[in-house]
Order: sequence, then C-alpha cells, then structure tokens
Amino acid sequence: MSDFSALRLGSAWRRIAGLMDEAAQDFVRTSFSSVVRDNWDLAIGLMDSAGRQFAQSSRSVPSFVGTMPVTLGHMLARIPRESLRPGDVLISNDGYLGTGHLNDITTIRPIFRDGRIAAWIGGTFHSTDIGGAPSVEARDSWEEGLTIPIARILKGGVENEDVIAFLEANLRQPDETLGDIRALFAVYEQAEARLFRIVTEEGIGDLDALAAEIFSRSERSMRQAITAVPDGEVFDQVTADGFEHPVTIRLRLAVKGDALTLDFTGTDPQIARPVNSPLNFSRAYSHYAVKCAFDPETPNNDGCFRPISLIAPEGSIVNPRRPAPVWGRHLTGHYLPILVLAALGKLIPDRVIAECGSPLWNCYFTGEHADGRRYVRMFFMNGGHGALPMRDGPACLSFPSNVATQPVEQFENAVPMLITEKSLIPDSGGAGRMRGGLSQRLSFEATGPNPVTVTYRHERVQHPPRGLLGGLAGTGGRDLVNGAKVPAKARITLAPGDRITFETPGGGGMGPPAERDPAALARDLAEGYVTEAGAKAYRA
Amino acid sequence: MTAAPFRIGVDIGGTFTDFVMLDTRDGSLRNGKVLTTPHAPEQAVLAGIRQLLDAHGVAPAAVAHVIHGTTLVANALIERRGVPTGLITTAGFRDIVEIGTELRHDTYDLFMRVPPPLVPRSRRVEVAERILPDGSIRTPLDEPAARDAVRALAADGVQAVAVCLLHAFRNPVHERRLAQIIAEEAPGLTLCLSSDVVPEIGEYERASTTICNAYVLPVFQTYLTRLGDGLRGLGLSGPLYLMLSDGGTVGEATAARHPIRLVQSGPAGGVRATALYGVGAGAPDILCFDMGGTTAKACLIEGGEPLRSLDFEVARVDRFRKGSGLPLKVPVIEMIEIGAGGGSIAQVDRLGLIQVGPESASSDPGPACYGLGGTRPTVTDADLILGYLGAGSFLGGDMRLDVAAAEAAVREHLAEPLGLSVVDAAWALHETVNGNMAQAAAIHATEKARRIESFTMIPIGGAGPVHAAQVCRKLGIPRLIAPAGAGVASAFGFLASPISFAFVRGWVAPLATLDFDALCAMVAGLEADGLRLLAEADVGPGAATRTVIGALRYAGQGFQVETEIPAAILSAGDRDALRAAFETRYQQQYGRTEPGLPVECVSWQVILSGPVPALSLRAPEAAVGSVDSRSRRAWFPEAGGFVDTPVIDRTTLRPGDRITGPALVEERESTLVLPPGTEAVCDAGLNLVVTLEG
Repeated sequence: MSDFSALRLGSAWRRIAGLMDEAAQDFVRTSFSSVVRDNWDLAIGLMDSAGRQFAQSSRSVPSFVGTMPVTLGHMLARIPRESLRPGDVLISNDGYLGTGHLNDITTIRPIFRDGRIAAWIGGTFHSTDIGGAPSVEARDSWEEGLTIPIARILKGGVENEDVIAFLEANLRQPDETLGDIRALFAVYEQAEARLFRIVTEEGIGDLDALAAEIFSRSERSMRQAITAVPDGEVFDQVTADGFEHPVTIRLRLAVKGDALTLDFTGTDPQIARPVNSPLNFSRAYSHYAVKCAFDPETPNNDGCFRPISLIAPEGSIVNPRRPAPVWGRHLTGHYLPILVLAALGKLIPDRVIAECGSPLWNCYFTGEHADGRRYVRMFFMNGGHGALPMRDGPACLSFPSNVATQPVEQFENAVPMLITEKSLIPDSGGAGRMRGGLSQRLSFEATGPNPVTVTYRHERVQHPPRGLLGGLAGTGGRDLVNGAKVPAKARITLAPGDRITFETPGGGGMGPPAERDPAALARDLAEGYVTEAGAKAYRA
Repeated sequence: MTAAPFRIGVDIGGTFTDFVMLDTRDGSLRNGKVLTTPHAPEQAVLAGIRQLLDAHGVAPAAVAHVIHGTTLVANALIERRGVPTGLITTAGFRDIVEIGTELRHDTYDLFMRVPPPLVPRSRRVEVAERILPDGSIRTPLDEPAARDAVRALAADGVQAVAVCLLHAFRNPVHERRLAQIIAEEAPGLTLCLSSDVVPEIGEYERASTTICNAYVLPVFQTYLTRLGDGLRGLGLSGPLYLMLSDGGTVGEATAARHPIRLVQSGPAGGVRATALYGVGAGAPDILCFDMGGTTAKACLIEGGEPLRSLDFEVARVDRFRKGSGLPLKVPVIEMIEIGAGGGSIAQVDRLGLIQVGPESASSDPGPACYGLGGTRPTVTDADLILGYLGAGSFLGGDMRLDVAAAEAAVREHLAEPLGLSVVDAAWALHETVNGNMAQAAAIHATEKARRIESFTMIPIGGAGPVHAAQVCRKLGIPRLIAPAGAGVASAFGFLASPISFAFVRGWVAPLATLDFDALCAMVAGLEADGLRLLAEADVGPGAATRTVIGALRYAGQGFQVETEIPAAILSAGDRDALRAAFETRYQQQYGRTEPGLPVECVSWQVILSGPVPALSLRAPEAAVGSVDSRSRRAWFPEAGGFVDTPVIDRTTLRPGDRITGPALVEERESTLVLPPGTEAVCDAGLNLVVTLEG
C-alpha cells in the first residue's frame, strides 16, 4: 500500500512531530498569558485532509489529547470546506464542541497545497478570562462566560472585524486573549512554511499517505499492546464528593482480542453544578489513561485510539447535554484516568498505579493590597500520588493533570498573605505493600489590613483515594479556617489575621499492608512518614 | 612572565584526563592524555603533568599556573558520594526539598521517578523564626531551639549543615546568627548558608543549591588539598585556578568555598575553546556541537559569548529529561544534551522504526566494531559501515575496528527486521541520529529566539566532525568550521578563560519604586567582594571589568529576562532607560513589548572579570609531504551510493588548501566527513572552513 521505508517514514514523522513542538515553543514564546507560558496549557496539532490528527505537540496537558479533530468536524459541519480559502482561520470555544469548557479557545487553519486542502493545523489554549461569571454557583453554561460560535476569525489572512469586536466587547482582558489568538496566526504561518520544506526535503508527495502510514503503525502498536493482555471484562466505580449529593461514575472495561471497550453506562446523571464533563473531555482523559498503560511512547495521533470504543450515555455526568454547566469539568474528568487504571489493575496489576490525591486542588485569592490595588492569585497544590507496583507513591505529585506549584517566596511577594506551613502530612499515604504518596498541609494567613476572598472547589474530602489490590485508601482532604472545618467547595472571606488551611488527599496504597517489607516500614517510622499510630495499619 | 612562560590546562573527563600546555612566548601548544583515575583523580593530573614536563624538557618553575576543570563535583552528586548533611529551615518548611515543584517530568510514564532529596527527612530540622518578604522580622529566631537542633544534627553524625530560611536572600540576619550558633555548638561542621551560596528568590531551588554545595564541599576540599600538595611536590609553585560552569575561572580558595559552581566545569571549557576558534576564524555566532561517546551537546554562542543561564539541574534520574534532577541556581553556560553519541545503541521500536539512544554501549563493551563484546549496533558501527570511519585509522590506527562485527550487529538488529540491506540500515541509523540532533538544536534555538541558520557550526568531540555536515544541512546552516585539535578542546578552553566570578542577589521590587541608591550600594559591595576574589588570583583592580545583569519581567509574569544593564543607568537612577534596556531584550526574545504593563526586577548578577587571556597561537608545522593518495569507499546516496572517496591526513594540510567533497579528512581523534556539495578551505589557523551548497 505505502512506499514509506522505515528510514523515510521515521525521518518525516520525527521531523513533523518536532515541528509541532517547535510551533508550541514559538507560541509559548510569543504568548501574552502566563497560563500558556508557565503552565503550557496549550496544544498544537496537525490533521490530514480528512481532519484526522496525525501529529500533536508532545508537551501538552492531557485535556487536549485528540480533541481537535472533533472540533474541526463540528466546524466543517457549519462552514463547508468548499467555502474555505487560503488564509482563513476558524475559531470556537464552545465547550461542548471543544475541550469541555469555554476557557479553551481552538483555532484551525486549512493548509492549501496545489489549490486544495492538504492538511489542517490548529491550536488550543486556555484563556484565563472568558467573560461572564464562571463560579460554583453557575447553574447553566450561559452563566459561564462568552461562547464564541464557530466563525471565521481570519478571512484570506484578514481579520474579521465583527468577530474581533465581539470578543473585545465581552472579555475583561481582550489584549491578552486576542494577543494569544493573533500569536497563533503567526505560528501557523511559520509552521506551514516549515511543513512544506520538510515535505519537499523528505520527498513526500502526499501528506495523506504519510498520515495513513502513521495511523496504521500507531494503531498496530496499540492493538499489539492490547492483545498482549488476556481477554476479560471488569467493572469498577468511583464516587466523587459532588455538591448536594455524591456522584458515582461506573465503568465496564472489556478487553477482547486487540480491542478495548470503556463503557460508562450506569454513571450518574449530569447535575446543575459546573462539574459536568463533556464527552470530548471525558474521552481525552480516558484515552490518556489507556495510552499511559499500554503504549506511552508512540507520539499521540488518531491511530493510537482506534482500538478503543468509548460508550458514555448522553445526559450522564461524563457526557452531559446542553446547557449543563461545565466550567469545573476537571472535578469529574480527572476521576476518569484513575478509574480506568483501577479497572485495568484487575487485569494487569503490574502496569497501573493506585488512586492519586486528585482532581487537582487549587484556590483563588482575591482582594486589595494596602494601597488599594486589586489582586487575583491562583495557587495549585497536589495531593499524594498513588502507590506504584514496585515503589511507594511519590509525595505531592501531579496526576493526571500536570501543573506545578509556585515558590512560597514568589507568592508572598505578590499577595498580602503569608504561607505559614507547607509540609508533608504523616500517615496520609494509604498503607500497603507499597505505600501511597504523602499529601501536604498548606496554611495561608491574611496579613494585610484588608479581607481576602478565597474561592475553591475540592474533591476527595468524603471519598478519599482508594488503595488497589488490598492496599488501603489514603486520607481524605480537609479545608479549615482557624482550625475549624469548612465546606470543601466554597467562597470564603478571611478577616485580617485569619488563617485558611488546606490538607490535600493522600495517595492510595497497593497490595496488602501486612506484606510490606519491615525495613521499609522501619525507615518510614524513622523518617516520620508514618507514625506509631499509623504503623498499626501494617501490623493488624 | 618570561620567568614562567608556560600555562597548563587540565580537564578530567570520564575516561581520559587531557592536558594542554601553552608556551606564551611563541604561542605553541603541547598536548597530553592519560587515563583518568576515578578514585583519586589528582593522581592522573599529577602523573600527566609530570609526563608533559618531562617530555618537553620544561622545568616546573617555568609553569606560571595550572587551570583545572573537573567532573568531580557533578559525579559526587550523581553517585551520592558527598558527606552526611543536615538542613535547617524555617518552621513549617522542612519538606520543601522533598515536595519540589509537584510537576511530572514525564506526562505518560506512570512510573516516573523523582530524585530523592540528598538530605533525608530525619535530618531536616525546623526552627521558629520568620522574615517577611520586605526583609523585616515577624518572628525572632528561637535561639535555644536552634541550639537543640544543631546538637541533634551533630549527634546524628552529620558532617555538613545547610541553612535555608524563608526570605533570607532579602535579610540574612537569622541565617548569620544560626551560623554563629552552629560554630559554637558544633565547631567542626561544614556550614553553608543559602544567603551566601545563592541569595536568590525561590526557596526550593535555593535550598537545593545550598544543600548540594554543603554535601560536596568537604569532598572537594580534600581533593583540592591533595592536588595542591601534589603540585607543590612537583615543584609547581604557581597558583591553581579552577574552571567554573559559566566559563570563568577562580582561584583555589574561592573554588573551595563554592564547589557547586564547578558542576559543569568540563563542558564549559569546550564551549570556551569553541568560542575562541570561532572568533579567531571571524565567526563569532556559533553553534557549538560537541558529540562524544554517549551524548551530544549543543550550545549557542553569540558575538563570541556563550548564552548564560542561572538554572541548571544535576543528577537527573532520567538523564535527558528536564525536571528529573536536583535543581540548581548557579551561573552556567546554557547547553542542551541529548542521548546521541558514538556509542548510542539503535533498535527497531514497536512502530517498526529505528530508534537511536538514549541507551549507550559506552566504552564497555562499546560499539560492536570495538570487538570488546558489544553485539548491538551503535552510531559508530553505522559510521564504519558507511566508510566514514576507517577500520585501520581509528585513534590514529591504535585501535583496529571490526567491520564484520559492525555489519553483523546492524544486520541482526536493524536490517533483517526492517527488510533493508545492511548499508541502507546503517544509513538509516546515521540519518536518524542526525535528525535527532538537528531537531533538538532547532527547538533550543527557537526557545532562545535565535535563527539557527545564521550561526556557524563548530563541531568538537570524537563524533562531532563525522556528523557535522549532515546536521548542518538539516538545520539549513551553510557553514561549519572544523578546528584542529578539537579532541582536547576543553583543556584548551581553560587557557582561554578569564578569571571571573558572578554574584547573584535576589532583589524583588517594582521598577516604579526601585531604590537605586540601595541597589548601587549593593552592586558596589559585590564589586568590592569581587575585586578581592580577583586579587586572590593576581588580577589588579585596574584590569577588572564589571558587568551588571538584571533579571526583569513584567509584573505578574512567572519568568525573567536577563539583560545587561550599563552602569550609567544605575548610577543615574534612570527608570526609563532601565525599562528600555529590558524591553530591547524582551523584544528580541518575544517579538513584542507590553507598553502598558509595569516592570519589576527579580534579581541581579554582578560579574567581575579579569582580562581574557590573549592566546596568539602559532600554527603547528605541517607534516612533510603533500596530500596523500589514499582513498576508501564511502556511502553518499546523493552521489549514487558507495563512492571511491579520497582520505586526507589532516596534518598534511596547509593554509589555502582546498578540498571538494566527497572527501574524508582524518586526524587522530576524529574524521571530518565532507559529503558531495561541500567545499573546505584550510585557513591560516589550520581550521577547515566548510561551505555547504544551499
């Protein structure tokens, strides 16, 4: 079928994958926003003429795994491809068509070659502000900000003034968001020129043929990995704290031959709180877990995920209907890779991890400095990592999202608050043959003359991270003000001198605690990772 | 000077310790090489120097000084061979060094490792105290508790203590008081304060750097003492200088206090040498490409100066993955490293494609063609099959290479699984590793906002010249310069390095309210400190230059842009000019500025440097005889496959000689491959200046 030798294909594939990384680096370098620059909350992708993704920047957050082709499909349903011209760029941030919430803006540009669309290049990035009033109080998606309907933001290389004016009128920081959108226009231009250079130098007549070869090899690799696992059908479920009531996500995972089914039938319905996870986001995180367990090394592309069937009932919290609010979709979506891995653990226990202290914990501080300047500061904090089959779980390590914390000294220089403690919590890691990773306690004191508003939404308070294969659960998280427990999802005002404390959840253990190496337990006691009281779990 | 006309550079590498001796009277160079003695590295240094002096009849008293670079500090951290170390922190923060950044360095590896802290939790103790961001004291130091903490650490057997308190870079008063207490309670302990080692904002990186410094300091001091005694024993009475990671050198006493500054000592020498070669050949914008046995490194040099950074990582648990090591805040030459060296092993991955590295056959067993038991195909094996390396001319013929073994390895592991001929598989391997290096260099240049096409490549290391032309082609670089004697480039580079020391001070302030008087006083204080250090190395105040680099950013950004700030701007307190200097650099890096946003400074570097030593090199005499008439078959697909290719002995080349590719230029440590479409001209310094056709 194809005439790609291992040499030509290897070289072309590597260069095109590298081109995506270069484009992502170009974007980061020219971006206006710190969330793009510091957190790499972005992805750049390349799709074949039929809109299937064959290359994606490698340093992306898992939220964007394979979402762009779906968005493109929706775009083309609205704007026929025949009507597109060179220099056009399409845009949308519709959470139900894109990555699950309005803050992620996707733009896609057709790449013309010899008068026809030969490929598509696109980018998705997170915009800190998207207008509106996103909050835990939102009861529908209209409250969550501006929806940019599918539109041409660039026509023949010229900005569509009407679309730009609409954005300017609806965003709090239009310079930052439009700056990033425009930065991407330049990134696409440059990447397209480089793509053509690679295509010429590598002697590639037809990009679609290259893409087809990439898809078929990646699909084969994934199918081989799945085939190596014995057939079987397993069930598992995880319960999230939710709001007024807990929410349970149920999974049937079936391996049959070289195919894998993830079936979320039986999962609880969507709720009128902003934690619903649209299908595209649910799929991205489910696929991410499969990729980690089966074929972590193949660069992401459409072919990797062809062996996976995903069933998610419409109207459930993992595939909500409009207008369910979705702003905090990660509070559901981050459970999915953990659930997929827990289920897989029943088939391949040596290739998974126990549950981690996630969904990601964060909080926003807002208020006024002594001189009246306003500030908004976000703070990320991770829980303990689940135990591994061969090692204890690392303390305070991000999974499945990948977000760093910030230095205490930087924070205190920016905000009239002090962090009075950032330390590991002994006994927070679930007991097991391999112990779960410890979580952390962070205390923030309002030291300025003005009150501070703290907004946060935390999970794993009532339902701590589970252990696996006989391992015990980690400890649940806690939120405290001046030592007294407060709700896990709240907006709280701290008076000067008040102190808010967050204790993130600990990672689950793996294997029966009684099987733990006594030397490892002795070391944990000596180092203070486990107290005498906590050691009882191992001696029972 | 005439009394002691010789200068000696010594580079301790993993396998060999290299020596270069310069005769400053006529600019002539003499080289030497002995096997490294890992357990007592000074032995190889002393033995090699004695050999070099004896071989050339040079009296020890004729040596002005020895300049030395070493991997000892990096190796002690990688192998965790430092001393038991304790850490004292502000109450509530002893786990900072274990929690780290919380970031995964590998998104898809569920089992990714994190580096265990050098100081175990039981040796991390807390004391009540608190300094605020503005430097004022919120909670005084609890001295009785501090005394207890020190006694507990001493009782636990620690030999070194690192102290890192919050905001100590702003106000070191509590750290200094702790130093007194430690001296009283446990007088023998090695002691490092974060406010001395790296007074820079960011408690995790500052603590990590301070701990690393304390952890290796006793080991390094012991080594320096032995080396110094040994040198004096040989009759060398001149000073010993040491190469730092940023390409400067310092006297022995300074180095002994700051061993962590030597963490990238050897590679910095290679870059310095490359800069010197390039500047000498009229090409000050250089891509230094150093390809050795296990890795390839790339570094950008602009206007003769290597790009600098304050961020470094050591002892990575996953060697080529950023974020998997211990973070350091030290002035370094910025370079990237990938697992692509002569010994890198190739295999067919699960996608049916060739993957090269990062696994390496190193020197034991080495590539299959070494005949030392290696059976898996490496880059060197492919280069041999393709005819780029000569079976009988490797290391000047001292080591015969086994073509059949190379072919067998490539056949079994690549050609047969892929259905290719052996030579096609070898070419695929060669192209793959070239592609990897080109990609890494291109992304690095993009990150640094430089156009790589406008740089001249200078290849060093054993495998650099073999791959240089093809990597240039992939990068669109039209010119490369192959210097003579690239095999001992690092040791040579030491001789070209000025006495220099960079001070770093965290200083967070909005530009609008920046206190220029205080800033100038700080700079003046550091300048005085620096002049004292330079004086230790016999550099007088008149010969010293001062450079001030500000790390600035728009308020709210999470990263800084480092900009050289002219002294006049600071002394005049000119805010607009300071902003303009920052924005010029920002514009270059990011292609725009943000006129509406306030600017703030984060930290300052003050660098005191002596003069760059003038090296007027004399070209070695060309060997007698003309270009010889050897040739061998070498694989050039653009010329149709195997081509009978002339092999030229580099020592026979003279200025003005011209070589048109395809050709192979051999020297002892390496071979320069000139594919069709290239032309090399020998310049007055015996460098080969190669132009590549568009």
